Amino acid sequence: MSHMHENAMTRGESHHTRCVPALALALSVALVLVATLALLPVSALAMTTNKATARPNEDGGSGVIGAMDTRLTWEGTVGDDEEVSSITLSLPEGATFDHASTRITVLDGLNRTSIDGTATSSGNSVDVQFSEGIPAGSLVRLEITNMQFPADGGDYVVSGGYTTADGQSHVLDDSAAITVIANTPLQAAVSWLDAQPWVAAWNSNPFLGMFFKPQLLLTSFASLFPGWLVCLGIVLACYPFAIVLGLAFAMLKTSRHKVLRAIAICYINLLRGTPLFLQIYIMFFGLPMVGINIDNNVLGVIVMAVNSSAYLAEIFRAGIQSIPQGQYEAAASLGMNGFQTMTSIILPQTVRRVIPTVTSDFITSYKDTSLLSSVGVMELMMFSKNLTTTTGNITPYMAAAIYYLIVTLPLIKVVGIIENNIARSERGGGPRPKRRAVAGASQQASKAEEELTASAEVSHVEAAKPAADVFAALSAPFVSHPTVDLGGVADGE
Amino acid sequence: MKNSMSRRQFILAAGALAGSAVLAGCGGSSTSSSSTSTSTDSSSSSASASDDSYTLVKDGTLTVVAELGFAPFEYMNDQTGDPEGFDVDVINAVAEKMGLQCEYLPNQKFDTLVPLIKQGGKADVSIAAITITDVREESVDFSEPYLDSNQAIVAIKGSTETEATLNDASKQVVCQGGTTGNDWITENLPNATCVPVDDVTAALTGVQTGLYNAMVVDLPVAKYMLTNSFSDLDIIEEIATGEQYGIAISKDNPNLTKAVNKALEDMKSDGTMDSIETKWFGSTI
Repeated sequence: MSHMHENAMTRGESHHTRCVPALALALSVALVLVATLALLPVSALAMTTNKATARPNEDGGSGVIGAMDTRLTWEGTVGDDEEVSSITLSLPEGATFDHASTRITVLDGLNRTSIDGTATSSGNSVDVQFSEGIPAGSLVRLEITNMQFPADGGDYVVSGGYTTADGQSHVLDDSAAITVIANTPLQAAVSWLDAQPWVAAWNSNPFLGMFFKPQLLLTSFASLFPGWLVCLGIVLACYPFAIVLGLAFAMLKTSRHKVLRAIAICYINLLRGTPLFLQIYIMFFGLPMVGINIDNNVLGVIVMAVNSSAYLAEIFRAGIQSIPQGQYEAAASLGMNGFQTMTSIILPQTVRRVIPTVTSDFITSYKDTSLLSSVGVMELMMFSKNLTTTTGNITPYMAAAIYYLIVTLPLIKVVGIIENNIARSERGGGPRPKRRAVAGASQQASKAEEELTASAEVSHVEAAKPAADVFAALSAPFVSHPTVDLGGVADGE
Repeated sequence: MKNSMSRRQFILAAGALAGSAVLAGCGGSSTSSSSTSTSTDSSSSSASASDDSYTLVKDGTLTVVAELGFAPFEYMNDQTGDPEGFDVDVINAVAEKMGLQCEYLPNQKFDTLVPLIKQGGKADVSIAAITITDVREESVDFSEPYLDSNQAIVAIKGSTETEATLNDASKQVVCQGGTTGNDWITENLPNATCVPVDDVTAALTGVQTGLYNAMVVDLPVAKYMLTNSFSDLDIIEEIATGEQYGIAISKDNPNLTKAVNKALEDMKSDGTMDSIETKWFGSTI
């Protein structure tokens, strides 16, 4: 800038003999010029360091870990009246540029200029010789791939120097510090795996290497964990609301009033008849457009709750309607009103019956949280997608599969056990007070029963449920031991 | 009953396992068999002619895969649903120079393109404004660069955001997953939350509705989308990255890379490239 200033000054001086106002004008022009130039970012005489950044190499995280390959990007602008022929960058002791490769980009504004160069790296410094001098004002970017920061972590600045075309050497400004995390035990474990011959052999198989790369599986587990918590959090938070909403709509659907029924039918059919994916899109892009801005995770909970409430409503309705008419009549004969009948007779029985189906729906909802990844909720699929993108490997998806299975497999098992218990208790077996009194006989009987019904088809048991239930409920006080295979007897009902 | 339940579960589990094994087996064997068959086909047909024979998924056809939501580089025509754009013209011209038909596979997500080419067997090349990066070069080969590009930060019109203000924990910056914009955010805005989504339209709609504070995307795409459909958005910063697009080709098919490079060179020298650039950008670049 002082260069420009001088020019303006000389111009002004050459005219001052003729006209004093001209001098004043020239001076003011010069001042304006100086002021504008000072505001421009590219204004220095010497080469400036714009920035130095490192590519995050923490799987799934945003940190830069020491002693692990990363990419250093250094950007500088060539000064106004110089031509740069080489640049040397160096990092503190412990960093290494060995095995690194350097990509050189020289830009004039937004346009790339075809200047290439050769980089020689040794220890903690890298030296780049350009094929031709880089003209003044150009932006130089050096991307040094596969370099490593010191293992200890800390803040590191990139220093260095450059030489101009006329052979002069200059010192570069230090860059802003790059924060490096110390090498973690997880990374140490990965490095250990890297060194194992069996891991190399395993990975050399294209399928195993692509789907089950041990190093990546390990890091994926660690970095997917927050996503898994979000998944669990969303489904656990949404489910109580879904149950309440579902129950409400089940009541509406079984209501005597036409309008209430219509409302429930519309709600349930609309939600069950459209894909969850679509509902997510509508909610996530539609609501902000009408000015409603809700936190992504909360909105995720809302969408999931609304969606599963429709399914739950149908499950509850079916459950309520499966309770035989006799129960209502019996309640009425005891003088109960509709509300009492519902809360103390029908719903308790319904709950038992719908638990397996509700658990299945819970499993579905849990898996469906994966769809939220498409709108930027940071859940399990989102994390694994990011990891797969950065690593080009399918393993993170496998880790995600395991995270899903950790929850779903036990639940599936639980559904099986509950179904089993319900089927048994509805036949009059199962753990009941009377059973204790005649424990021996009961055990004998239930064993015999198991053998008898082992071959009986499941649908048969399902169909016989209502009948068995009434009979068991009514006869419970009178029977001295659990009856065997009631289903067959009461099949006619 | 317990017995029957556990038996049923066992059968289910066994069935599931067997099913997945069959599927996996199928996938593996079919890809390997198809690739071997094509390789034997084309090697028998053209190996006699010269040493630089290459294999194609389908004989006589250059099978291309791309993410068709990246206007003006590749997008689907509103009426016909056919892919069109700068890249589409380039690859058609390349195929023509090579004496091949050009055929596009259905739209694929951007972040699956490089893995798909690496794995082979489905597509020969991928041209989708893919920047040549060191990481991608570990998986696939690239042709010589055919276009230079830069990045842009897009935000709502009148936004006061800058690169500095975006680098904050309260800010959400969206990008298309797996793009260099994605890399740029994680490296240059470490404090902001980077949200990779599947397509540009979803990302820009998110910026429009205020779901995200800004988007980082290739500059030509930002310019095109802002002129054509998102007039209430603005480019708040042009990031000079000088990145270069290349055509991704499997490492197992080096002769195809050579042939594509030859075609690109011919296109540069005979003016085809210039005319395509003029068609899409109004001038040569």
